[in-house]
Amino acid sequence: MPKTLTSVLLMAFAMLLAACNSSNVKFSIVSGSENTVLQPIVQEFCDKQGATCTFAYEGSLDIGLGLQRPAGLEQDAVWPASSVWVDLFDSGRKVRNLTSIAQMPVILGVRKSKAVELGWVGRPVFMKDILAAVKDGKLKFLMTSATQSNSGASAYLAMLSSALGGKEVIEPGDLDNANVRETVSALLQGVERSSGSSGWLADLYVDSASKGTVYDAMWNYEATLKETDDKLKQMGKEPLYAVYPADGVAVGDSPLGFIDHGRGPEVEKFFTDLLAYLQTDAVRKRIADTGRRLPLGGSAIQAAAEPDWNFDPGKLVTSIRMPEPAVIRKALDLYQEALRKPSLTALCFDFSGSMEDQGEKQLQAAAQFLFTPEKASEVLVQWTPSDRIFVLPFDSVVRANFEATGDAAGQAQLLAAVAGQHAGGGTDMYACAQQALQQITATPGLLKYLPAIIIMTDGRTDGSADQFLQQWRSAPLRVPVFGITFGDADKSQLDSLAKATSARVFDGSGDLAGAFRAARGYN
Amino acid sequence: MAISRRAFGLGLLGAAAAGTGGYLTLKDRPEFRGYLGNKAHLFGFVGGEKQAFLADPDVVHALGGYGLELDARVAGSVEMVREAALLSQKPQFLWPSSSIMVDLARKSGVPIRNDQVVLNSPIVVYTWGPVVEGLKKSGLVTVAAKGGYNQLDLKALLDAILAGKTWSDLGIDELYGRARIVSTDPNRSNSGFMFAGLVLSLMSGDVATQELLAQHGDQAKAIFRSMGLKSSSSGKLFDQYIAGGLGAEPMVIGYENQLVEWALADPARWQRVQGGVGAKPEILYPRPTVYSAHPLIVIDPAVDRLLEALTSPKLQELAWSKHGFRGPLGTVAGGTDAAIAGVRPAEIEAVLPMPSADVMLALLAQMEG
Repeated sequence: MPKTLTSVLLMAFAMLLAACNSSNVKFSIVSGSENTVLQPIVQEFCDKQGATCTFAYEGSLDIGLGLQRPAGLEQDAVWPASSVWVDLFDSGRKVRNLTSIAQMPVILGVRKSKAVELGWVGRPVFMKDILAAVKDGKLKFLMTSATQSNSGASAYLAMLSSALGGKEVIEPGDLDNANVRETVSALLQGVERSSGSSGWLADLYVDSASKGTVYDAMWNYEATLKETDDKLKQMGKEPLYAVYPADGVAVGDSPLGFIDHGRGPEVEKFFTDLLAYLQTDAVRKRIADTGRRLPLGGSAIQAAAEPDWNFDPGKLVTSIRMPEPAVIRKALDLYQEALRKPSLTALCFDFSGSMEDQGEKQLQAAAQFLFTPEKASEVLVQWTPSDRIFVLPFDSVVRANFEATGDAAGQAQLLAAVAGQHAGGGTDMYACAQQALQQITATPGLLKYLPAIIIMTDGRTDGSADQFLQQWRSAPLRVPVFGITFGDADKSQLDSLAKATSARVFDGSGDLAGAFRAARGYN
Repeated sequence: MAISRRAFGLGLLGAAAAGTGGYLTLKDRPEFRGYLGNKAHLFGFVGGEKQAFLADPDVVHALGGYGLELDARVAGSVEMVREAALLSQKPQFLWPSSSIMVDLARKSGVPIRNDQVVLNSPIVVYTWGPVVEGLKKSGLVTVAAKGGYNQLDLKALLDAILAGKTWSDLGIDELYGRARIVSTDPNRSNSGFMFAGLVLSLMSGDVATQELLAQHGDQAKAIFRSMGLKSSSSGKLFDQYIAGGLGAEPMVIGYENQLVEWALADPARWQRVQGGVGAKPEILYPRPTVYSAHPLIVIDPAVDRLLEALTSPKLQELAWSKHGFRGPLGTVAGGTDAAIAGVRPAEIEAVLPMPSADVMLALLAQMEG
């Protein structure tokens, strides 16, 4: 064959290949925050295929609620931390081809010197040991909200299972058992900070450590603890020692599934190709390097154990049996309504002049959502009678201070009080923050509560943060100050307040009630 | 390659001549009929466990030889014989995964022309090496004298579970907590459905009847209650077993052919697992077990030829050697891929019939309540 013909054919073949590669597929994935570390691996595949991939990170409950909506999620693929959330919420069977990518046990990372002090190094630790340490005031931990995030739910279900004394599985009647409630409630007293996201919680641990605040412990995925420890070691900080509760842990199976929006066979093909790519040996090795478990992967794939902090992805962990969906749902309600550490929440509502009309309407609607138990319980952020709530409407001054407990009557009272407020005047959120902090620190039995200040504002505030932060530093405990922005709010002021107090800011411009809901997931 | 145009032409001519001669003798051979045109297109529902078998190019080709092309849509065995939404689509055949479904189809008014079990796969327990070792120590697992496979005293295991025995009571110190076994949801999936029948018969000491159900139904119910969240399909549960490993899924119920298909789908992976240091997947044959039979329910006369094809030596051999399905009587056809030699016995002793359809329906109703 003439040389030129060969090269022409080769070129044609190359062009054909290139045409196949640049698929122009647009593909979106919604995933749990723990998978942020895997995004580059997926992105590489998208680039190779010439596809445009977008990633969104949401809590497990949000992913579940999205699946439950008649319209479903807008994304093409879903990648929650555990298939339990799909089993619970995907009643319309929208998700197809759900395939586990890795196994992620939820375990307790304990600051190494603390683990030594508790005598937990080199021996099996049971949930009852953890309970004893919490009761003795020797241990506090970070844990995500069981109703908003899979890692918190996993830790909570492991606590329930253990409290049942090693029964095969949690059954409906078990949740009414007074001993079980008492044990789990006592364990949850150990919560020092909560959040709606496992990834954010790990960042909180690292950020705080860099600022010299070291928390005792954190419930999180084994792999997330590895990420955290890698960072801590780099900073020259003490690592978290891996405690694998010997009486069973919950294991997330990190499944990736397809949602067919009828956008053509090439979209589904992209999904199956992505799935195949993630299951090739080379990619499995990279996934395992993040600390994820890949059973049957063998030692050639599994990340090496790191005995200095007891990390061992090859170590056999007994997993608890997941209960029936109805039992899980009941257990989550029980967490929110009875067993979690009560909230002590001060809400600063901006009623300045710029909130007139639309702003005021939306704020009233958000209050309706927050203080109507039926609405809040739909997304599992309902209050309980043991919660304490302050509502502080403000403009250039704090107008009033409404206070109530979280029972139905208290909530109705707060709702009526907010309904009486109308927009007008200037803006000084710092004044409100100061008063909120005073209210919180003056609360009797302060340490029984999980405190938070939530500031909603739509504008640029007057005043300065200095005085507030000075007061904040001398408070007997650290109160995070969350922000919710609205309209054309100046995000930077809320951001710096949140950063200084280890909190975060939520964007409420699209959906103010949704932003309050997200913030409640951190409290 | 240096082949001249003329030689190529002559070759074609020769092939055509041979073809003509061949046509005369082959047109009466059913397995070649299809290669000479007149393909029949058949529509029906099949259980998901046979999806890979029917999609296998070798199987498609062999069916093509019979002049058959299938439009086989996947549906649950229970729903395909009962759901009006499926039956109203006028399927020409149904291929569920349990003989009881023939009775249920009849009760639903399906005009059955003929029915015959085409494939079989026993219900087995999937577990891991350390569990087998432990259960051998505690005497629950023995090696069959004939065939050398591991058989499980399922009744004794179920009694131990009901008595709240722990894994270490059963000789397995690697696992913490109470022993458990997990199947699919019997109301949705056939393997869970068959296991429910087997459990009830074992608890009853005989193939269960309505009277025995009244006496022993609660024990069967307790076994299933202890499972917690149950998968909706056998394929999903098997995937969970493989992905979860010993710690998450110590013992699950499945069909014998599932591990075979998994191993043959990627022989290199199978070799690696066998050669690795971790716990290896293992099959235990309950003694007694039940057969998940796969009866082809013929509704349209055109399906007669499909029945003929599926029971032919060629397709029976493909079913066994590539997909792990046994023949109509539980026997095996042909050899075994070297990669999975020794995984399955040629013959299984002690097989129990399923309770009748009425008993099973009553059991399901009781377990739902």
